[in-house]
Amino acid sequence: MIPNGPGSPAAGTELELRWRSSRHARRLLTLGLTGLFIAVLARRPEFAGLAAPALLLLAAGRARALERQLPRITVRAKPTTRRVFEGERLAVDVTADDTVEGSVRWRLHPGPEIAPVGATAADGRQARFVVTPERWGRRQIGTLEVTVRDRWRLAEGHATLTLPRLDCYPAPARQQTTVVLRRLPNRLGEHPARTSGEGIEFSGVREYVPGDRQRSINWAASTRRGRLQVNTFAAERSQDVVLLVDATSDVGQPGSSALDLALRGAGAAARAYLEARDRVGVITYQWAGASWLAPALGRRQVYRIIDSMLASDAGYARGASFARLPRAALPPGALVVVFSPLLDQRFVEALRDMRERGFSIIVVDVLNTEPPARRRTEDRLARRLWRMEQDAIRFSLRELGVPVVHWDGEEPLDLPLAAHTRRPMAARR
Amino acid sequence: MTGPGRLRPVASAAGMRAAAVLLGAGCLVWAALPAVHRGYATFMLGVAIAGVAAGGLRLALTAVPVPDESYWPSPGVRAWRAFLEMMRQVPWEEGAVIGIAWLEVLHPSRPWHTAVLGAGLIAYLLVVHLAESDARLAALRPQARVLGLGAVVLALGAGAGMLPAAGPGAGSALLRLVAAGALIAAAGLVLPYVARDV
Repeated sequence: MIPNGPGSPAAGTELELRWRSSRHARRLLTLGLTGLFIAVLARRPEFAGLAAPALLLLAAGRARALERQLPRITVRAKPTTRRVFEGERLAVDVTADDTVEGSVRWRLHPGPEIAPVGATAADGRQARFVVTPERWGRRQIGTLEVTVRDRWRLAEGHATLTLPRLDCYPAPARQQTTVVLRRLPNRLGEHPARTSGEGIEFSGVREYVPGDRQRSINWAASTRRGRLQVNTFAAERSQDVVLLVDATSDVGQPGSSALDLALRGAGAAARAYLEARDRVGVITYQWAGASWLAPALGRRQVYRIIDSMLASDAGYARGASFARLPRAALPPGALVVVFSPLLDQRFVEALRDMRERGFSIIVVDVLNTEPPARRRTEDRLARRLWRMEQDAIRFSLRELGVPVVHWDGEEPLDLPLAAHTRRPMAARR
Repeated sequence: MTGPGRLRPVASAAGMRAAAVLLGAGCLVWAALPAVHRGYATFMLGVAIAGVAAGGLRLALTAVPVPDESYWPSPGVRAWRAFLEMMRQVPWEEGAVIGIAWLEVLHPSRPWHTAVLGAGLIAYLLVVHLAESDARLAALRPQARVLGLGAVVLALGAGAGMLPAAGPGAGSALLRLVAAGALIAAAGLVLPYVARDV
């Protein structure tokens, strides 16, 4: 569960109650009127007696209800958290104020992609509903229907409360290893660089020069060579990583579509690179343009990245191409990890352009669906053409020195990236 | 909550729904027997049976959620949604009450029989309300005194029906009807003030 931001506890909301007769009252009225009607028509007084209990109840309940009906009710609805990952549970605690006389009934109407866990109706002044979001996104938890009944249960006051919004983060995939560039910027970090420095990874032995620290003398090598030798260590550097998420195409089954996988993969990559003390940023490419978040360090950056990705689905019109992205969004020498189904030709062209500008790019292909198979010859030909076109796109990227790995969303991201995480990735121009 | 603890409310709700159906069916049988074949008896018997049965089905389907709105629902989903809407919108119990009362009036005057039916119908409606709102029997405690008074009036009505007529004309029956009506009106006028202290 993700910690809440400040000010998240919900304040009480005053709702206007719309009072009306209950179904119970209408049924009693039917019985009473039917009895009286028959008594008059058939001249049989026992039917007036049959109508009497129902009419007495209505008369007594009506007299009391007019005195005690509240015009408003104050309801507090407080979710245990406002940010969850897909599939996590959260509870919503609801409380009515003490001025309510009679019974209170709550009924939860969950919003889209929100699944209730357990009962959706409860009685009493306080209640708790447990729900779980099924898919990432900014979602309404739902609406809460409040029904207040008077003590005679003949009148009902209805009100509806809209529950707060929820940020549901995509459940991150598993990734522990990272792709590291061969040439790293001159900034302290955790990746061993090719240059010598003050790291902890042993890189070689050289002759002692005045000024070297005595503790780095390698006594065994010095004894063999007859002169003082010192150990050298690799410098430790960090890199800039930009996650590029292609939100132009969302194909496949909801829950495992290309965009689902792209967001889950980007979330996992953000977490893995930030744990390696790299600076990580994100660019979300979509029809309206591209939204971006400059690379930065720290654990909070994971949530900022995911927030940025969630906000992108509302449309963002700042800059329609990568050429307009500022240097801060795409720093020179950064590693660009792309999550895309590679279906949008403009996006592929943008990747080629970035590669020609010297960026080191690795593409995680998240396309896991195909056009439906049909029997007609034209359909089969179209399907074959589509496949060949997809192969050609991937081939052309590989020819440019952009590795393309396929990820099915099930296995850890480490597996498809294994060939590139074992050794530093060279950025060929 | 433990297993039996969780099952208890479910069993209680199921018991209340079963009680509602049984009470409705009991009232129906009580009013319909002996069978008569005049005054739309068959039609009203059908209305009453449909009302009791569909009312029971409505109570059984109370917890079933309506399928979510979707862009293009399948015919099955649309039919199921329409069925649930119909079950929840139509006042089945009202139809059953009217049908049962009609069946009772088709028989010759039998005041105590009608009084028992009246008690059964009011119990049926109360239990239906408890079942549909998942409430317990204790929810009716504030109404206990009024229900007791209603039972007294019911008995008085039956007694008035059993009074021998003063003469063979229609005037005596009308007199009895006016007497019963006056009793109800008086109770209705007095009760709001009595109920303030309940």
